[in-house]
Amino acid sequence: MILSIGLLVSALVFVLSFVRRVDSIIKVTSARLGADILIVPSGSRGAAEDILLENKVKSFYMDRAAVDKVRKIKDIEDLTTQTYLVSIGGECCDVPETIVVAFDQDSDFIIKPWLGNKLGRRLKKGEALVGSESAMNISVGLTDVDSHLFGNMFRMVGVLDKTGTGLDTAIFIDESNMDDILRKGKAKVKQGEISIIFARVKKGADPVKVAGEITDSVIEVNAVARKDIGRSILDTLRDLNRIFFATVSMASILSIFLVWAVFSAIANERAWEIGIMRAIGARESHVSRLFLIEVLFIGGVGSIVGIIAGTAVSVLLAKNFMLLKNVSAGLGIWERAIIALCSLAAGTGICVIGALSPIRRLKKMEPLLAIRKE
Amino acid sequence: MVQIELSDISKVYTVGDQTIRAVDGVSLKIEKGDFLSIVGHSGSGKTTLLSIIGGIIRPTSGRVLYDGADICTLDDDRLSAYRNSKIGFMFQFASLLPILTARENVLLPELFGPSGRAADRKKAEEYLSMVGLGDKIEAYPSQLSGGQQRRVAIARALMNGPEVILADEPTGDLDEETEAEIMDLFKRLNSENKVTFIFITHNLNLARQAQKQMRMGQGAMKEI
Repeated sequence: MILSIGLLVSALVFVLSFVRRVDSIIKVTSARLGADILIVPSGSRGAAEDILLENKVKSFYMDRAAVDKVRKIKDIEDLTTQTYLVSIGGECCDVPETIVVAFDQDSDFIIKPWLGNKLGRRLKKGEALVGSESAMNISVGLTDVDSHLFGNMFRMVGVLDKTGTGLDTAIFIDESNMDDILRKGKAKVKQGEISIIFARVKKGADPVKVAGEITDSVIEVNAVARKDIGRSILDTLRDLNRIFFATVSMASILSIFLVWAVFSAIANERAWEIGIMRAIGARESHVSRLFLIEVLFIGGVGSIVGIIAGTAVSVLLAKNFMLLKNVSAGLGIWERAIIALCSLAAGTGICVIGALSPIRRLKKMEPLLAIRKE
Repeated sequence: MVQIELSDISKVYTVGDQTIRAVDGVSLKIEKGDFLSIVGHSGSGKTTLLSIIGGIIRPTSGRVLYDGADICTLDDDRLSAYRNSKIGFMFQFASLLPILTARENVLLPELFGPSGRAADRKKAEEYLSMVGLGDKIEAYPSQLSGGQQRRVAIARALMNGPEVILADEPTGDLDEETEAEIMDLFKRLNSENKVTFIFITHNLNLARQAQKQMRMGQGAMKEI
């Protein structure tokens, strides 16, 4: 029975950890983005979310002219652009496949908050910053290392603070490097192209409405309000949630029946013993307490085994989930503690619910009948 | 002074579609300090009647008054307290909990009593010595003979200083010498402490040692 409770709780811990982690990745990304609206080329919304949420290495481009069209939309306060370049291992020699982000330092409000005190000055041409978990950062040990990117030499001069988003594995360069990169012809991007526009709306304006207006007015772009980032993933997650919780609920009901069956057998087996105790003065509450200690022990040990197993499985299996394997946003100690406590409560609760009926039947039995039941 | 009064007590068991009238309209008055034996054939309702007096089963009809209070109307807590403090019950079979030592078995009534966990280990040892088991205090039931187990059960019944001892064939599987010792112990407790004794026996010689003798047959009771 301890094993069965352990299995159930481990499934619960795994499901809760998975759901919470995906949810927190999306929320963290949305909260830390610094922009109210993302504007990407039509049909590239999924790719943009892949980069921001999952650190996937993708590129997409649109004409820079879109910036002026978006700027004309009512309630737009600020705009900044970024260009995503894919560095391919074999092509650019000594750098693993990574997203290189060219950004405009003058208008930027996305990267600045994560610069911290690392650099303390503007990024110069030929210099790069790396995300806190960049593949390069990990493998080379940074900083003050020279690396080839798209045929140009870059000096890594700093590491960004951890953002908990897809940006943590990227490399950042100033937009002024784009001409040199284009000249070498080692990147897919063409002259006058950008990947993404980040927009901030005026105070009091509704980002969802403004995003809708942009999508309607500028045909070549697709605008997404910050709170809608990852909506498709969240919708899928919601469906997954339902499947997970339906499965866990059915397993819980089965576990309740299992506990009921086991405790019915235990109650029958111990009816004589309980009858004797009742005959010499044990109250119903003594019988309840006696069984409750056993139930809580079984539920508690099973749940602890399940929490350990479920946490281990969730950590190990995370590597096999595309959505989880690249992102740095993990569960904090408090979140893990809350999941563990909920699972402990669920595991012991299931044991208590399952055992209630047999215990009640036994304690209500007249002592002589309980003794004779043997 | 009437300590226990049974008024028209009946107990009916239903087994499948059969009804068995184990006790049929028994009325009886037992005074404090009585030494009473009940004889009768197997299935005559002796054990059921003793269990009704001891509060371990409720009668189908009738009243059991203990010191004027009807125990059949008591809630579980009060009925348990009655069983714990007023009654010492000895079963006709070995009734020791196998996972507890002799001393722990004797201590059980105290654990369920108002003193709770502050059980008096010394008192338990004294009772075990009184029944001749001073050297078997830490023994488990499986390490004791049938007679020794019976004596542990007697010590347990005496542990809370009951006013009434209900014994169902207390010397059933004991040799004559031990049987005599136990009867002497019962008589001593009865005369010195005014403990009321009601015991069931098949042994007519034993029954005759009681001050009052009753016979049960087909659920009814007659004085001999």
